[in-house]
Amino acid sequence: MNPGFVIPTGWSALLPELALTGLIGLILIGDVLLKEEAGKILSGIAVAGLAAVGFLVAAQWDQPARTVLAGMFRMDMLAVFFKGIFTIAALTTVLIARQTPALIRRGLGEFYLLILTATLGMFLTASAGNLLMLFVALEMITISFYVMVSYHQEERSLEAGLKYLVLGSIASGLFLYGLAFLFGTTGTADLTEMAAVIQGGLTESPMLVLGLFLVLSSILFKSACVPFQLWAPDVYQGAPTPAVAFLSVGSKAAGFVVALRLLIELLLPLGGVWIPVVVFLSGATILAGNLGAIPQSNIKRLFGYSTIGHGGYLLIGIAAGSFLGTQAILFYLAAYAFTNLAAFLVITAFSKTTGSDEIRDYAGLSRRSPFLAAMFFLALLSLAGVPPLAGFFGKFLLILSAVDAGHGVLAGIGAIAVVISLYYYLMIVKTMYADEPADPSPVPVPTTLRIMLWICAAGMLGLGLIQKPLVNWAAAAAQTLF
Amino acid sequence: MMLGPVSWILLAPLIGAALLVCVPSEQVRWVRRIAATATGIPLLLALSLIFRYDPVAAGYQWVDRIPWIPSFGIDYHVGVDGISVVLVLLHAFCAFTGVLVSYRISQRVKEYAIFYLLLIGGVFGVFTSMDLFFFYLFYEMAVIPMFPLIGIWGSKKDRDYATMKLTLYLTAGAVMALIGLLTLYTLSPVKTFDLIALREAFLRQPLPPATQWFLFPFLLFGFGVIAPMWPFHSWSPLGHAAAPSAVSMLHAGVLMKLGSYAILRIALPLMPAGAVDWLPWVAGLACMNILYGGFVAMAQKDAKFVIGYSSSSHMGYVLLGIACLSAIGLNGAVLLMFAHGIMTALAFAAVGHVYDQTHTRILSDWGGLIRQVPFIGVAFAAAALASAGLPGFANFAAELLVFFGAWESYRWAAVAAVFGIVTTAFYMLRAVRTGFYGPLNPKWTGLKDATPFEKIPYLILITVLLVVGCWPQSLLTLIQSGTGPILEIIQQASVGVLP
Repeated sequence: MNPGFVIPTGWSALLPELALTGLIGLILIGDVLLKEEAGKILSGIAVAGLAAVGFLVAAQWDQPARTVLAGMFRMDMLAVFFKGIFTIAALTTVLIARQTPALIRRGLGEFYLLILTATLGMFLTASAGNLLMLFVALEMITISFYVMVSYHQEERSLEAGLKYLVLGSIASGLFLYGLAFLFGTTGTADLTEMAAVIQGGLTESPMLVLGLFLVLSSILFKSACVPFQLWAPDVYQGAPTPAVAFLSVGSKAAGFVVALRLLIELLLPLGGVWIPVVVFLSGATILAGNLGAIPQSNIKRLFGYSTIGHGGYLLIGIAAGSFLGTQAILFYLAAYAFTNLAAFLVITAFSKTTGSDEIRDYAGLSRRSPFLAAMFFLALLSLAGVPPLAGFFGKFLLILSAVDAGHGVLAGIGAIAVVISLYYYLMIVKTMYADEPADPSPVPVPTTLRIMLWICAAGMLGLGLIQKPLVNWAAAAAQTLF
Repeated sequence: MMLGPVSWILLAPLIGAALLVCVPSEQVRWVRRIAATATGIPLLLALSLIFRYDPVAAGYQWVDRIPWIPSFGIDYHVGVDGISVVLVLLHAFCAFTGVLVSYRISQRVKEYAIFYLLLIGGVFGVFTSMDLFFFYLFYEMAVIPMFPLIGIWGSKKDRDYATMKLTLYLTAGAVMALIGLLTLYTLSPVKTFDLIALREAFLRQPLPPATQWFLFPFLLFGFGVIAPMWPFHSWSPLGHAAAPSAVSMLHAGVLMKLGSYAILRIALPLMPAGAVDWLPWVAGLACMNILYGGFVAMAQKDAKFVIGYSSSSHMGYVLLGIACLSAIGLNGAVLLMFAHGIMTALAFAAVGHVYDQTHTRILSDWGGLIRQVPFIGVAFAAAALASAGLPGFANFAAELLVFFGAWESYRWAAVAAVFGIVTTAFYMLRAVRTGFYGPLNPKWTGLKDATPFEKIPYLILITVLLVVGCWPQSLLTLIQSGTGPILEIIQQASVGVLP
């Protein structure tokens, strides 16, 4: 556009990643130098740095796609779209971490560091052009999360961390094993070349199919989908809230960028093999998550289950195997980011004052803090998919993509699960609004959380009412794959 | 771009709700004033539309159209035709009088008013949308605020169960209808959610009869849940009973009409062959509604349950009228939606007035109230007589049309449905007798009648019932101009189906 400002090709594609790496270094050094007030200053640096990274990511929007580092790194619209989501999630997570007392006692510097390394891993996952790069990036995410999940150093948190570590390592192993088959059958690790080989007619190879299913398993683990969803509720309940928030938004999105890159971009010619499986798993995941959430009494554990359900919804878009499905996934993920982050902001503010994550303690929240209750109400309705909130249009697109692809039963399950999820979300609403509080003292909301909540509310309502911009962005990003 | 009156009808309550968010909750007077203004403006606009609507030109008038998501063929597209202009007026009456009745609410007034206005905005949206996406969006928007409205301000005894059941039933119906709508969208050659464009596309190139036969039930039963079609009606009397009076007024007065309206507006014109196949079954279900609802109402002791079951019984007449697929039946159905809406609003307002002071709705506990609250007693008696089909009230004209329609189309159904009138007369008059006549229960000597201000909503509703009852043609001309095009489509389809 502007001839005066020419971005040199090549390394400029890596600008956000380079900035993020610099930020990581800064935090690492800062944590060593500033012992006393590390928390406040480092969170300021992290927020400012992430905001800068966000601008760099935004600046890459609408730039032509390009590959650097000998095909290792791809900068395209899909990657940029996901990096936007990752940045928002990371930024919010930093602010949540700042308000989590249990973390403050333990020292926050390292935690910020882990958030940032996980973010870098997510960025690289979105941009990976090579199987090895993809694996390394995913490991970077997972290892950061191992530490974050067990950060509390108390029984529950450690148990969660161990569970996540053991299962996560198995999933990584499966992934690597699957990659080996993909590499072995196609003779290349470069995703672009691999796509050419597969499109060239290599669809009957049983080894390729085996590799596909191994890779699929690992994706299902990352995004907590049936049959690899069992870790989610335990980890969600035990891990520190910021880790959970980041896990539920960032890690899930990372799982789906891999799914889009591998299943849709690379292996769509083998759709006949994997689509029926994903259709089945999607329905099963939706039901497992939403039915499992019903009896929960701990809010984080409930979100552990509900997040499984959302993973199932996102799988609908994969199962559709179409442009519309991809567009729907992208819209849903962006909407889900605002919505779920809003929910975790409320959970953080609430537990900061009351020290509780039990749903029954939310009784009468509408009188203790009308603002928090209203925000939670919005977030829960958006998660359930009630118009005019962002979550509604996401579900609308996903179900439309299922109907469009001829998966009528899956669309029906998705639709029925809306009713199921409404039940347990509305039970929380009822607790907040209709029940009498045991302790009527007000719940204060720290200013940073208040601002973030307003932003998330604007996101939920804005994306739910004026869907066009995000629909168009999602279409532009989905165009990368088709 | 300039928005027309229809958009303002729809936006006024929503803007009111947004304003209320900014008003401090102690300012109860201002909250009430804003709520009354936000529903008063739509009422004035709706009245002006009903006088200015041109039934000769027919079709949608005062149309506003803004492209919303062009890549999916979604437009903000609103307007009113002869059917919706009548229902918009009904809703405007119920909403405005509901706000006046809600002046009695003293707890958490601001939150109440916000949810109430959102509900009202959603219903206006459903009646005016010409785009299926927005239709669905507003439909869900109208359902969800019921949850807090009943859950927080409802009567303590059964509100938790009632409100959850209502929300889940209605949402289940809605998502079922959504699957149907999305399938229609994907099957349509034009890939748009615009109702008019879809209707024309399906006229030129109808869906195969087998597809219509398969898809029609999704919309029929999906929207039928809120209609409330037997056997999916059980959420409705419970919801009526648990809800605060103004919410019952809207719920029975307007919300239940959304179902039959949606069937009439979307299912019939888009899948005429499916309608011809399925509607005889609907006639049977409608008879079940009428008789089952009527008999259950006869056994009720609680005033709100009597009216609740009576509503589900009377909505059976609406469904029966639609099932006739004849001009007289459809016109009767729409007129009955209007008449029944006003009538139930009146009845629920009166019951609510008594309940707020006695804290019991068991009719036999009341006794002789007419001496304490003569105005309310007369209002309730008027509603009861209207409901029983006394000539002079709008309900009489409407039910008569439905009977004529049913006699032509389904003689057996007409015969069965007539018994509904008998049951109505029985339970309604008995309710008046046990509740308001007989010896005065000494407990209620302190009961207060309506103040002059509180009388306003009752007077409005009774006047409407009588005016329309004495001059039904005023609305029927409009209704006719709306049902005519739908019938034409049905007739073309039946010619196509039958050899």
